[in-house]
Amino acid sequence: MEGIAKETWLHRVNPSIKLLLSLGVLISLLFIHNLNVMLLLTIVIIICFAFGTGVSRKIALLFFLPFFLLFCSSVLTMALYGKGSTFWWEWGIFRVSEESFYRGVHLGFRALTFGLIGLIFVCTTHPVRLFYSLMQQLRFPPKFAYSFMASIRLLPIIWDEFQTIRMAHQVRGFSPGKGWKGFKSKLSAYAVPLLAQSIRRAYRIAVAMEAKRFKGNQKRTYYYQLSIGKWDFLFLLFLLGITGIVWIGSEWIQLLPNQDVRLV
Amino acid sequence: MKKGLKLTDILVTIVISLVFGVIYKLWSPVYSAVKPIGLHVDQLLYGMWFLAGPLAFLIIRKPGVALLAETAASSGELLMGSEWGLSTLIYGLIQGLLAELILALFRYKKANVLVVSLAAIASCAGSIVFDYFQGYIDALVWWNLGLFFIARFVGSVLIAGVIAYGLAKALEKTGVTGLVRGSTEEDVRSLDD
Repeated sequence: MEGIAKETWLHRVNPSIKLLLSLGVLISLLFIHNLNVMLLLTIVIIICFAFGTGVSRKIALLFFLPFFLLFCSSVLTMALYGKGSTFWWEWGIFRVSEESFYRGVHLGFRALTFGLIGLIFVCTTHPVRLFYSLMQQLRFPPKFAYSFMASIRLLPIIWDEFQTIRMAHQVRGFSPGKGWKGFKSKLSAYAVPLLAQSIRRAYRIAVAMEAKRFKGNQKRTYYYQLSIGKWDFLFLLFLLGITGIVWIGSEWIQLLPNQDVRLV
Repeated sequence: MKKGLKLTDILVTIVISLVFGVIYKLWSPVYSAVKPIGLHVDQLLYGMWFLAGPLAFLIIRKPGVALLAETAASSGELLMGSEWGLSTLIYGLIQGLLAELILALFRYKKANVLVVSLAAIASCAGSIVFDYFQGYIDALVWWNLGLFFIARFVGSVLIAGVIAYGLAKALEKTGVTGLVRGSTEEDVRSLDD
């Protein structure tokens, strides 16, 4: 995700702290059942995403598209098939009730906020810094962290390989056919060579790392030193601030009914 | 033999998992697009998100691999900018843990289609538990909830059980599994001959 975003203050927050606090926010979101509060939170998080991550408008919109799709599908499923008593609309098996509709919208917002919090995290965190921080602040074993970093480096190679296989098939006029058989031959034509090559490459890298005396367990020095500082404190204050604003704001601003969306 | 996972096992598992991380990410729009069809056809596709754990176990056959694979795949999905955001991490962890639990019950000795299907079912159950907290699935109409369960379980057995097994068998034929599995008793015996 590097290179597509300008640096903002969120980039300077320690990745481990950011991860833990974001997970905390995520879990606390599970306990919000009030539609109006959820809406306000969603608005605040969209604003954070738009102005806090430094991602350009075009890319932000591109990212947002699948999120919007997920939002719509979440709303629809619950609205059409959810339980309720005040029916608005019925057609065959579909019964949209007031309760199920609002519950669906709530779920849509929840899916949206979950996704956006993750996206804010990803857009403002460099993977290498994340793994260095995990090793230094959270005592994540270097064996795992370096494996992750090496594997991320391999992804573009795997993508290139995929293209090569595709072109090779095209040149040879490979047609997998249709239905279950076609699916099977497509699977073995792409997945098997890609996985086999990846395993071979990963094995060679591991051998090379071990040859360089990489053990991945003992104490080691780090090229990037990450610490916990003022930006982390600011991030915590920021989250508390948002919580406060939404809490107080929901008393004054009522855009959607202030009701519990759970079954009563 | 040292206990635990060697660097080779970890690196191979994580590389496989990150490939699945990309697939998991690309799977989300497919899933969302199928969802409005209704009747939970989409749930048949859900099993794809359990595939990494059983497959990694079938390839490497060591304790801890399924958990590592599923967690790594979900973090890979997150790093790709997943629609599900950080909740993928929680899902991945639960799904991986439960699949691992089933494999542990068989003491990691059995690696047949039945065992991985059971692992897939366990992952599926784990995902449903978290869905209960996140998605109010108990508020669906009964027949719809029933369809939801059936479709998701069938999908997971098909994808994370049967397809995972088929893929692993095909990979065995290429010979790469020999790199990571290390020597078997059969290999040792062949030295004596």
